[in-house]
Amino acid sequence: MASLPRRIIKETQRLMQEPVPGISAVPDDSNARYFHVIVTGPEDSPFEGGLFKLELFLPEDYPMSAPKVRFITKIYHPNIDRLGRICLDILKDKWSPALQIRTVLLSIQALLSAPNPDDPLANDVAELWKVNESEAIRNAKEWTRRYAMDN
Amino acid sequence: MGSCWCKEKNEENDSYLPPQSPNGLQIHNVIQPVSPVSTQYSFKLSKVPDATYVDKLVLETLGVIASLVDNEQEPPSSMQLLHNIADNEDGWIQVVNSMINVIPMEDPLGPSVITLLLDDCPLPSKESVCKVVSMLNLSEEAAVLGQLDPPKQRNICVVLGCIAEKLAGPRNMEILNDDIIDYLLMNLDPSTDPSVVLFSLIALEKFAQTSSNKITITNKIKKLPISPVALLESWKEEKRYIQRQVGFCAQWILDNLFVMENREYSYKTIDMSTINAMLNTSDVSEYLKISPDGLEARCDAYSFESVRCTAQADKGAWYYEVLIITPGVMQIGWATKNSNFLNHEGYGIGDDRYSLAYDGCRKLIWYNAKSDPQNLPRWKSGDILGCLLDLDNQEIVFSLNGCSLPPCMHVFTMAKSGFFAAASFMSFQQCRFNFGAEPFVFPPNVAYSTFNDCGNLTAEEKIVLPRHIFLNQLREQNIGEDSCTLCYDQKATIRLLPCEHSGFCVTCAKQLVECPMCRSPFREIEEHYPPS
Repeated sequence: MASLPRRIIKETQRLMQEPVPGISAVPDDSNARYFHVIVTGPEDSPFEGGLFKLELFLPEDYPMSAPKVRFITKIYHPNIDRLGRICLDILKDKWSPALQIRTVLLSIQALLSAPNPDDPLANDVAELWKVNESEAIRNAKEWTRRYAMDN
Repeated sequence: MGSCWCKEKNEENDSYLPPQSPNGLQIHNVIQPVSPVSTQYSFKLSKVPDATYVDKLVLETLGVIASLVDNEQEPPSSMQLLHNIADNEDGWIQVVNSMINVIPMEDPLGPSVITLLLDDCPLPSKESVCKVVSMLNLSEEAAVLGQLDPPKQRNICVVLGCIAEKLAGPRNMEILNDDIIDYLLMNLDPSTDPSVVLFSLIALEKFAQTSSNKITITNKIKKLPISPVALLESWKEEKRYIQRQVGFCAQWILDNLFVMENREYSYKTIDMSTINAMLNTSDVSEYLKISPDGLEARCDAYSFESVRCTAQADKGAWYYEVLIITPGVMQIGWATKNSNFLNHEGYGIGDDRYSLAYDGCRKLIWYNAKSDPQNLPRWKSGDILGCLLDLDNQEIVFSLNGCSLPPCMHVFTMAKSGFFAAASFMSFQQCRFNFGAEPFVFPPNVAYSTFNDCGNLTAEEKIVLPRHIFLNQLREQNIGEDSCTLCYDQKATIRLLPCEHSGFCVTCAKQLVECPMCRSPFREIEEHYPPS
């Protein structure tokens, strides 16, 4: 752990100095590669009003490989499965070392605004999203209310 | 670690996408078929699972898991059934309750299995977590009454720790109410069963991972006439091994989490004058806890944590001993610097071609993630593992309490020098290394050197700095704006052609296959850019 790359230090310093609106990413007290993340559900999306907790981990070879990110709050979304895993191209083959924690989290927020049922991870959710979008959105709102809101 | 059950968990965590896993670990790379939306969504339709049946599955999983040794092996069917049951809210609650009720105290893998199962199950909702917590009905009185049933209290504390870890953040704040803190603090009374004390401490530590909880707990402790954690710190010298773990954790917590104003950090008071070799605080995975004297290590995370020692063996014979404090899964042996610590993938010492290790819980020698069964009793607390490395004859000989295993040669096809003492730890495991500063219990009958005789450390290198102090020092570093935009370690001197994007150093540029900025393939790299 002593060999913490300066890239990670630099990104952490910037995240603290200039936080991303609607997103909080706080490094763990004892593990500089692990971030506690909260993303607020974007306006005009079925996730509006929800606070979604995620974990973000920077692997050994970061930034040459992508951060590992996972939802910890349950979410009804065609590209996020019941274990919280996310289907997002920049987290796999479209990763570039020029991307950062900041850009990854913004992309995830964008994914909440624009679900993509044609590239599904949660098949049943994607299916419903395609055949009956209004019901899917109702479910997503209900899950947001149930799992991602305080009251 | 070749131990699929750790690894397989991490597959779950780490391969976020099903279809394209690089290795043969099938099971969890493929997302299991999900039930139709109707049953998934409406909890009322789901059947309440039968408690006796779930109890049986939990015990079956516990029994099978110690025998899982092959990476390619499927996880036990009982475990998959438990996952399916836990996929609805009532099921999840039942699985948790069964674990609390039936996992016996004496099984060395009990707490690890609770952690594993919970980490692997589908995410619970906040409601289910709250429901479980309120059903447990925790309070100061519950802690006192619980003294009659230590196994159950121990399991409750393990579960609380997992909940804290899994739901760190604001949810965790809501869950941790006064009653739970009172319950956990009350459990720290020295008259409580030491296993309950231990896992209460660990649960408090995990709740305190969020800063607001840390403040709440610290304030509660301050109001007590005497800090129960400070009282337990003296147990670190105990001969009884569970008490000793309590002492280790209490000291770690006081140095790292609940820092008291009137207490000196342990690294400032410890005498290191006789120590010339220790565990390397710069060569360890993130979550391993190292004692202030650098000779004892413990893992309370769910990852497979590893460490190497400071000194290196290049020729001749070398020996060190390890005192086994917890009887669970650890892989202890020898590794070169080429061995990687893939803690989150579940790989450690003995899981690649550059390291070799013995795991005395499952009685296996590990090399290249393949295991070889050994004919010895399972190790227990207080046992001494001897690790002899003979570089002239190219063999490694492990011994347990003086009883030697057959020599191992495999690792020497890859490396003939540059070996370090090294070990990996599954959750809740702890051991103490003797590199020769103390007399050995079972010295081998051959001439050998010790790291402590040959090692050399500066006063600064001997300091095991609490992690928060260390990270703060790092974060205050000033990083120049002319640094490489990828690593920030070196100066940016490279421009890619033909796209002309710049801001990279030589080392990073060599690892690139396309331009990080525009993704276009580049033909050449131009050095000394910008020209000075």
